[in-house]
Amino acid sequence: MNRQIQDAYIVAATRLPVGKKGGIFRSTRPDDLLAHALSAVVAQVPTLDPARIGDVIVGCAMPEAEQGMNVARIGALLAGLPDSVPAYTLNRFCASGLQAVADAARQIQMGLADVMVGAGVESMSVMPHMMGNKLSPNPAIFAHDAHRGIAYGMGLTAEKVAARWQIDRAAQDAFAVASHQKACAATAAGHFAAEISPFTVQQHQPDLASGEVARRERIVATDEGPRADASAERLARLRPVFHATGSVTAGNASQMSDGAAAVLLVSEKVLKEHNLTPLARFVSYAVAGVPPEIMGIGPIAAIPKALQQAGIAQHELDWIELNEAFAAQALAVQRDLDLDPHTINPLGGAIALGHPLGATGAIRTATVVHGLARTSGRYGMVSMCIGTGMGAAGIIERI
Amino acid sequence: MKRPSQETQVTPLSIKKAAVLGAGVMGAQIAAHLANAGVQVVLFDLASQDGERNRIVNAALAGLKKLKPAPLASPARLSNIDAANYDDDLARLADCELVIEAIAERMDWKHALYDRIAPHLSPTAILASNTSGLSIAALGEALPAALRPRFCGIHFFNPPRHMALVELIPTPATDPATLDGLETWLTTRLGKDVIRALDTPNFVANRVGVFSLLSVMHHAAAFGLGLDTVDALTGTRIGRAGSATCRTLDMVGLDTFAHVVRTMQTTLGDDPWHRHFAVPHWLAALIERGALGHKTQAGLYRKAGKTTEVLDPATLDYRAATGAMADEVAAILAIEPAAERFARLRQSRHPQARFLWAIFRDLFHYCAMHLASIADNARDVDLALRRGFGWREGPFETWQSAGWQDIAEAVAADIAAGEAMSDAPLPAWVRDGRNGVHTPAGSWSPRQGGHVPRPTLPVYRRQLFPDGLLGEALPTPETSGETLFENAGVRLWRLPQRDAGIGILSFKTKQHAIGREVIAGLRTAIAYAEQHLDALVLWHAAPFAVGADLQELAAACAAGDFEQVDAMVRNFQAASLALTYARVPTVAAVQGMALGGGCELAMHATARVLALESYIGLVEAGVGLIPAGGGCTALALRAARLAGHSATPTEVLPFVQDVFMHLATAKVSGSAQEAQALGFAREHDTVVFHAGELLHVALSQARALAEAGHAPPAPPRAIPVAGRNGIAALEMTLVNMRDGAMISAHDERVARALAVALCGGEVDAGSRVDEAWLLGLERRLFVELLKTPETQARIRHLLDTGKPLRN
Repeated sequence: MNRQIQDAYIVAATRLPVGKKGGIFRSTRPDDLLAHALSAVVAQVPTLDPARIGDVIVGCAMPEAEQGMNVARIGALLAGLPDSVPAYTLNRFCASGLQAVADAARQIQMGLADVMVGAGVESMSVMPHMMGNKLSPNPAIFAHDAHRGIAYGMGLTAEKVAARWQIDRAAQDAFAVASHQKACAATAAGHFAAEISPFTVQQHQPDLASGEVARRERIVATDEGPRADASAERLARLRPVFHATGSVTAGNASQMSDGAAAVLLVSEKVLKEHNLTPLARFVSYAVAGVPPEIMGIGPIAAIPKALQQAGIAQHELDWIELNEAFAAQALAVQRDLDLDPHTINPLGGAIALGHPLGATGAIRTATVVHGLARTSGRYGMVSMCIGTGMGAAGIIERI
Repeated sequence: MKRPSQETQVTPLSIKKAAVLGAGVMGAQIAAHLANAGVQVVLFDLASQDGERNRIVNAALAGLKKLKPAPLASPARLSNIDAANYDDDLARLADCELVIEAIAERMDWKHALYDRIAPHLSPTAILASNTSGLSIAALGEALPAALRPRFCGIHFFNPPRHMALVELIPTPATDPATLDGLETWLTTRLGKDVIRALDTPNFVANRVGVFSLLSVMHHAAAFGLGLDTVDALTGTRIGRAGSATCRTLDMVGLDTFAHVVRTMQTTLGDDPWHRHFAVPHWLAALIERGALGHKTQAGLYRKAGKTTEVLDPATLDYRAATGAMADEVAAILAIEPAAERFARLRQSRHPQARFLWAIFRDLFHYCAMHLASIADNARDVDLALRRGFGWREGPFETWQSAGWQDIAEAVAADIAAGEAMSDAPLPAWVRDGRNGVHTPAGSWSPRQGGHVPRPTLPVYRRQLFPDGLLGEALPTPETSGETLFENAGVRLWRLPQRDAGIGILSFKTKQHAIGREVIAGLRTAIAYAEQHLDALVLWHAAPFAVGADLQELAAACAAGDFEQVDAMVRNFQAASLALTYARVPTVAAVQGMALGGGCELAMHATARVLALESYIGLVEAGVGLIPAGGGCTALALRAARLAGHSATPTEVLPFVQDVFMHLATAKVSGSAQEAQALGFAREHDTVVFHAGELLHVALSQARALAEAGHAPPAPPRAIPVAGRNGIAALEMTLVNMRDGAMISAHDERVARALAVALCGGEVDAGSRVDEAWLLGLERRLFVELLKTPETQARIRHLLDTGKPLRN
């Protein structure tokens, strides 16, 4: 199946720290977050003329309001990329960022471009409604029971997975605690330093006493989500939110977050022209559909496809970023595919680090790229479940 | 007590800003109630020495949101309260017009605080202490001379929003005009019932009420009654609060109770009952153990899983609470008139009956002995117990109703026989040949040696029908005014001396349920008003209305006569519309519950005047129905109106979503202000804090609307609705709740019907409809739901048991 015309190489991958919904980035616009990610990724390869970028592809799961108006193009222009560099926004919900990186790679693989940027952005602070500013499902969804699952909130789908895969509350909470512990340890050890581009938050607050606008700047360099005080006892106190007798709580679900990331990819030709050292090769990407009411098992369908495309065996994966939308679905995927738990989310996952929907795929791509470099691993994968019932998986190889 | 200024004009007191000193249980709740009334409050307590300076007050404010019953009329009221501390913020006292001190009951601490704050008070500020027992005069001695005329006691009862009583206690130096102003302000602005108390330990209500609790304990031990039996005997069956004796103590806190008893012990050395002012040893042991009542989850009772256990004082252990009133005693308590009831109680040898007689006897004895020293007159004592302790009637009323002379002789005989708790002889006035203490001319005042009439402060003229005590023979609404029209369901009348141009429509049905006769009467009354009157006010005592008459509905259902149901609903809708489109303004004066059909009628009036304590909601979902008396239509119109003011005038759904959830969950407002926030009343509707002033304000409002030249509104046309897309969006929530096992299949069905009604039917989003379309829709959906066995089961269950059925 390996019929690609040429390889696509990742030469830079960077992300901003992830902020909690309503946290450090509450008054920062998502197009500013994106612009920073784009300018930072380009700056990491100073010898490359940005005018050579064929297209900037940006994933965003709720591309409206502050992140509407084709946020990709707005972000690219604000980042100072030349007018000649085009940009577009795509949406595959939680896989949007990974889809953007994969699409960027494919442009190169098919020989349609030599330099591409794949990125992701999401601010859940400015888009507080999980389903957009105007929720308007099609009435036809409710005309047949077969479509009922389309209407499910993500938490309820996790409950369905927990019930069917028999993932109990204690297992979910334990998984969540581990996520926080790993994330805190990784932060303390500085393991995220290579992938993070610090962001300077500019605040403009009314100083009511003086009548002046008080401008403040704050440099943010670490993720806001991880909690050192997370414990099974604390999590056990939380109530299930989505089912009267359920097990999914705010504590064993991913955090709502703000974030952005960008990945710069080039062809072999450009590598040689500029004498660049690639970080990784983008190997394969696959998506697959599953029933909407158990959308969390999406990776079970997508991961084997991606492995097959890559032509490698599952045990060859040294690093797996398996998005923790919910502990229940992550555990179901891990168990069903018999994934090696030691390779999964070594630095913690979305329960601790946050899940800024459309940005997550690009963010975790940066994590795998730099993680493999630090640990000298070879194959890495980013995978996630997707609302309305899909899964995505992308595989990279450290060079 | 002298009320020198009462016949003169009272200078109105206007308080925009107040301070409360002490953020304990009482201070924080008093601050909350001031905030409810729109007063800006600065709440003080000690400064924290590290970090957050106002930590104590902030914690108290956070606690206000969780307390039950709610001290805040709506959470938004919290923004009226600023946190402060004595170290940093005393300068903020400068523009406070009223300062209420509510710190711990220590004379030295209070004096020290007064020293600290006095220099910061405005020269016109009133300072008042919420002490429940300390001498007000002694407290005032610490104050600078210039401040003393503006100092008094202001004793609220817990919980202060919900207990009507405030005791106002002057010192000899207190300026009478200040007291009058405060009494007026407390009445109208805070909705309180004020009595003037003398400066004696524990004042009036607690002095008598706490004695009553002690005497209940005393006699319970003497007659060998368990604490659960004591509660079965001393609750609503004898006209006391439902929490009776021991549950009340658990709520108050056993330590607090013990503190009050100790105050009596140390300050009332010459009280003939002094030897009884002691906490029983077993109660002291319980407190020692840390079981203080509700706040520690254990006291005289505790919960063991789903069962309640009661303390056995002998062993200090708990056992299942099974105590009950004996049938024989219950039969006696059911006897009318009271004279015979008491006679039978005295004759009975049943220990429960003897216990009951004993607690009444000693209560009568105690009140008679102390009336002269603790209160101006018997009315103040009775009102204090009614409003401060939730008794249905005061001790003197009970005595008088049972036959004054007979009871007096029986008490005297028991005293002579050594059976009473004290051998102090009854005061001479008790047996001077009188038949009671309350008369149409006034209530007995031993201090003044005569009967004193009710206070004549102008504020009391606003209460057209005050709660009368037995024997006072005050006019009642039913026997007052001039009847204009009457049927089995309503009475249309007017008060010519107040405003002959305004009709008052009062419902006569039980709980003011709305049946055929009420609807017919309402329509006749509106037609009458359009012909002969300037305006119409809907008013009667609480509740405003508990809803449509379910009996009538159930009967039609049982007969399978759904055409009749349809006609009933049409009639109801016609009455609602008549209220809206009447040629004269209609004003709904709401207090207490306004549920279902009651809420719908209130919503359709031209304007609403709402008592603060109004509990309003469209609760039809509870019986498997949707509002169909115009309720859904009114809320669909509201949504269209609000959308019309927004940037996207045809996007109606956002304004349907909230009300949909309120209706689907049968939410009832906890106050008038919350009803406004929920959409059951309008923002510009008037909120009245004292329910007794409701009719006065409603009549004034109706008159103002009439004077302004009322024109009925034009029927709304081209109303945008949310339609199919809106229904789908609401259904999305329902699917998640149903499949998340939070609601039943029938709940989902009922809520979906609600969604359809609120969204204007299965039409394209943004379609435009008229009022008749919406009314027809809600009516058809209502009848369809009524045909389902699940809805019929819910109605039957509610009628049979008084409780909702989840099916």
